[in-house]
Amino acid sequence: MQPTSSMNEEFLKKWQMGLQIFRPSIDNTSVHERKKAIKLSADVAMASLRKGTTCWSRALIEKTATEDNFLVRQMLSGIKAEALINKKLPKKIVCHRKIVRRSKKILRRKSKSASEEAAAKAKRLVKRRTQGLRNVVPGGELMSNDVLLLQETLDYIVSLQTQVNVMRSIVDAAEAEIER
Amino acid sequence: MDLSVLDRLKWLQQQQMVSPEFLQILGSDGREELKRVESYLGNNNDELQSFRHFPEFGPDYDTTDGCISRTSSFQMEPVKNSGHNRAISLQNKRKPEGKTEKREKKKIKAEDETESSMKGKTNMSNTETSSEIQKPDYIHVRARRGEATDRHSLAERARREKISKKMKCLQDIVPGCNKVTGKAGMLDEIINYVQSLQQQVEFLSMKLSVINPELECHIDDLSAKQFQAYFTAEADSKQSIMADFRSFPLHQQGSIDYSVMNGTKDQTSSSWETHSQCLYNSLRTDSVTNFFSLK
Repeated sequence: MQPTSSMNEEFLKKWQMGLQIFRPSIDNTSVHERKKAIKLSADVAMASLRKGTTCWSRALIEKTATEDNFLVRQMLSGIKAEALINKKLPKKIVCHRKIVRRSKKILRRKSKSASEEAAAKAKRLVKRRTQGLRNVVPGGELMSNDVLLLQETLDYIVSLQTQVNVMRSIVDAAEAEIER
Repeated sequence: MDLSVLDRLKWLQQQQMVSPEFLQILGSDGREELKRVESYLGNNNDELQSFRHFPEFGPDYDTTDGCISRTSSFQMEPVKNSGHNRAISLQNKRKPEGKTEKREKKKIKAEDETESSMKGKTNMSNTETSSEIQKPDYIHVRARRGEATDRHSLAERARREKISKKMKCLQDIVPGCNKVTGKAGMLDEIINYVQSLQQQVEFLSMKLSVINPELECHIDDLSAKQFQAYFTAEADSKQSIMADFRSFPLHQQGSIDYSVMNGTKDQTSSSWETHSQCLYNSLRTDSVTNFFSLK
């Protein structure tokens, strides 16, 4: 699935709306503040594209809301998606380290053949990587199973691609303007 | 080669004519059996068509050959089943789901409806005769030869196939995943790709904030069509951005294939590095130096 042009347009519209809300408070701010504002509005726009259907979008909105609740609320009201900020997230999955360690010790006592060890190593690698993926994708820790994680990752990647495409084209347009 | 559960399901959805090769495989006895099968299944053409798909998998002839004979022989048992009338009616009820005849009934709760209906696959089975007929909620799965038929392993297998299906979709989206095999490597690529996309967003937003201090978007002036042209940007402008991105200090990627981002699919990671070096030297560095000075 590739990002479609309609997705690009929607994202752009929402992003513009978000930026317009920022404009009054922009005048004497530093580059960092501006960058933060741009990124924030872009993230909120990207997340609101999904209208709360996916886990990562809700988690992303929640994350941005913790950084700057007021602005996010304003933005969402601008995009007319206020309900998104109140959506509930599933509980975070907590792994108690002691229990995990103890169970691993018990498992290790069993003697393993060479092929079993290789399989176990491969499994461990995969587990480590899925944990890494959970850290990268917003809301990854909240997803209970691997299937959901992969589904969300797919959706997230497509949305990121739209975001990057639109931002890149705006930057190109701005550069072209300046060079003129 | 084993055909996945979900692949078999897709056969159920299709409807095709019987191929002569298939009948040849079955032989004369097979034709009889096929007729008996038809009578058993009634007018439920969906499921019968599924058997006609075996010959499509050309190289698997040997396996399917043996397996088909096995399945055809198994067809007979359910006919003797007392509940077979109810089976037919139940099948007719579930026709739109494309279910097959019941060899083994399992209560497996599905996560989503479409996939639950798809689990009723037709195939080589080695199971016992069907038990009582149960409500249409349940998913009817057929086990493969030599594999355990308990609930857990079947559910596990279905789960694994779902995961592999999603991984294939991801493989299409993430560039450079074709060369990597296995879950671990692909997950690694996916993680790298997501991280690089996120860093790109950061970088682009920083660049935009530098270029456009008023945050004024003259996009209103541009018409929609003009803007579409920017979406499919030329290679050189894209490359300039990519070179900027490579100079980004947070960037710590391994050999990642960015060919899709550049719009061409023939760039390998090594050539990419030399290319970006050349571009970086000739690039407009004002925005980048601004960023560095602020650090």
